[in-house]
Amino acid sequence: MLGKKTIKGRIGFLLAILLLVSFSLLPFAQILSTSLKHQYDWGNPSLIPQTINFDAYKELLGLTEAKQVEIPAAIQKILNNPKLPQDKKEAIAAKYTANDNLFPFGKYMLNSVIFSVGAATFSLVFSVMGAYSISRLRFKGQVVIQRSVLFVYMVGGVLLMVPLYQMAMNIGLASSLWGSALCIFLIYIVQTLPVGMYMLGNYFRGIPFALEEAAMMDGCSRQEAIIKVVLPLSLPMLATVFIYCFIIGWNEYLFASVFLKQYPEFHTLPLALQELFVSKNAIWDRIMAASMLTLAPIVICFLFASRFMKGGKTDGGVKG
Amino acid sequence: MAAIKLNNIIKNFDKTEVVKGIDLDIKDGEFVVLVGPSGCGKSTILRMIAGLEQATAGEIVIGERVVNDIEPQNRNIAMVFQNYALYPHKSVKENIVFALRRLKVDQDEIERRLKEISEMLQLDALLDRKPADLSGGQRQRVAMGRAIIREADVFLFDEPLSNLDSKLRSHMRTEIGKIHNKFGRTSVYVTHDQVEAMTLADKVVVLHGGHIAQVGTPMEIYLNPVNIFVAQFIGSPSMNIVEGTLFNDHLEIDGYKLPRNKLTNVAYQSNIEGTGMLVKVGIRPDFFNDKAHFPASEETFDFKNIKIDLIEPMGFDKEVLFTLSGQPVKARLDLRSEIKIGQNIDLLVDLSQVLIFDRETEQRL
Repeated sequence: MLGKKTIKGRIGFLLAILLLVSFSLLPFAQILSTSLKHQYDWGNPSLIPQTINFDAYKELLGLTEAKQVEIPAAIQKILNNPKLPQDKKEAIAAKYTANDNLFPFGKYMLNSVIFSVGAATFSLVFSVMGAYSISRLRFKGQVVIQRSVLFVYMVGGVLLMVPLYQMAMNIGLASSLWGSALCIFLIYIVQTLPVGMYMLGNYFRGIPFALEEAAMMDGCSRQEAIIKVVLPLSLPMLATVFIYCFIIGWNEYLFASVFLKQYPEFHTLPLALQELFVSKNAIWDRIMAASMLTLAPIVICFLFASRFMKGGKTDGGVKG
Repeated sequence: MAAIKLNNIIKNFDKTEVVKGIDLDIKDGEFVVLVGPSGCGKSTILRMIAGLEQATAGEIVIGERVVNDIEPQNRNIAMVFQNYALYPHKSVKENIVFALRRLKVDQDEIERRLKEISEMLQLDALLDRKPADLSGGQRQRVAMGRAIIREADVFLFDEPLSNLDSKLRSHMRTEIGKIHNKFGRTSVYVTHDQVEAMTLADKVVVLHGGHIAQVGTPMEIYLNPVNIFVAQFIGSPSMNIVEGTLFNDHLEIDGYKLPRNKLTNVAYQSNIEGTGMLVKVGIRPDFFNDKAHFPASEETFDFKNIKIDLIEPMGFDKEVLFTLSGQPVKARLDLRSEIKIGQNIDLLVDLSQVLIFDRETEQRL
């Protein structure tokens, strides 16, 4: 009989699933485990730490108490020199009292959030407009545009990195802080737009045009029909596209490393993580805790968005 | 409330001509049914009235306004779609009041109209459901409610019943008729079902290949079709067409000679040669009667000794098939006729209902 379940089959199926899931989850378990281990425990291949250690997390999130740093006596003497201008004094004092966060996680996180959420939002808005026009409107060159959109996506970032940077230099954007930030912003939007348009375009095609016509007969303009009928029905795909764009921006390293390298105040998490890995502060638990914290927003975002991703929204609207 | 006037409407899709010059007057409050086979342009005409398609040429007037360049949302038209087109993400109630909410109609007024309509369409119990949880007939009623509540000038129906099973279809057909009688709005109804056309319409417009074949009341179209296309399209089972020869004093079909002077529905032909004029003769199956149960008179002609090839019992009626001039012919007899296949019977035909068409042009003579 078709679809009959045997015990053997069920066990085999479960085992296969278990294998697959553990294969993809093990690296994450390793990150979590290491981030919670004490230094003496690092060599231990077991995934379960002997004692749980939150120090790395506390440190990264700035929860540890700041250590007071004493200014050396020789320096204090210089500072006491009344001839020295006040601003110089402050600069010197700052150098010695600075208890800089080893890794200002909060700041990097904020940068990452601004870049990725901002770019994802713009990308989503443009995707909606682009996808609607290529899926619903008839205009000259529609097919060409529709196909070339994906072609843009196929060109890898490495190929574009140098010319893009050169262009940014030539028009003077890359030489300023805000110009570089704008470049990164634009690049993230352009990078995510093709796939966003492609996914949304296909989704829009699946929404019967009769629904929009019905809205127009009910007194809506075309724009209103899109806002009141098409977009609410597309929520699952809108959420998916947003998450996709967000994750691309969140994890992006290549362009950030080119455009933002010289502006530490705009470093995003991947860039900062990479610098942490190669810095004198690279300690296993700290690296892993930072990785874990970088991962967390994506997971949270995904869980949040999955609420919108319930399919079958268009059921029952039309028949035939 | 508004009258609709179509002046020489033409619609081309790229190079395909779909509607080839339609002139039509629809009076205020009239129920007009556009009927025709697939691809005759009937839905396109409806969509042009709605504003969902732009006419290539010609003028559409609703009320006093030429609406060619007016967006659909500003034409004050309500439409019921073939596939219902309910908003899947909204409840039945929100589907129905969508247009009113948009117009910011007073909440009390919305509730009042909703109550009236949901009672009329028996939707009270369904108001909080989503369209996906409704049956086909219920969805159809919601779509009707959504159109009616607007109190628009014009109602358009695009094959609204074609997705329903036959029992529900006849029920909803009656409902639509009742609703029209109650509100008396100008309505344009598109269908390929000639029963809907006959039962609902004040005026039937038969379309054929992008042209109007005939406009008239249902009975005019049924009794006086202008050509063979209309004759066969309207009426079920469709009209029998057989070859015949028209002479000055009689019409000959397969050896039967029907007296010319009793054929009151045949136009006078002046110059018919001695050899006669080859024509096509149309007789509706309903106008045959079994001689055993029907009194012969001067107005009837007796087809003697007809051999029955097939009998299809339908309940009250039975459709019997026989052959005239080598063509299969159907007659609808009532249940009193007890006949068997292969048997010979005499059939009476009402001579005033025998129609003659030109052999080449298929137009009525």
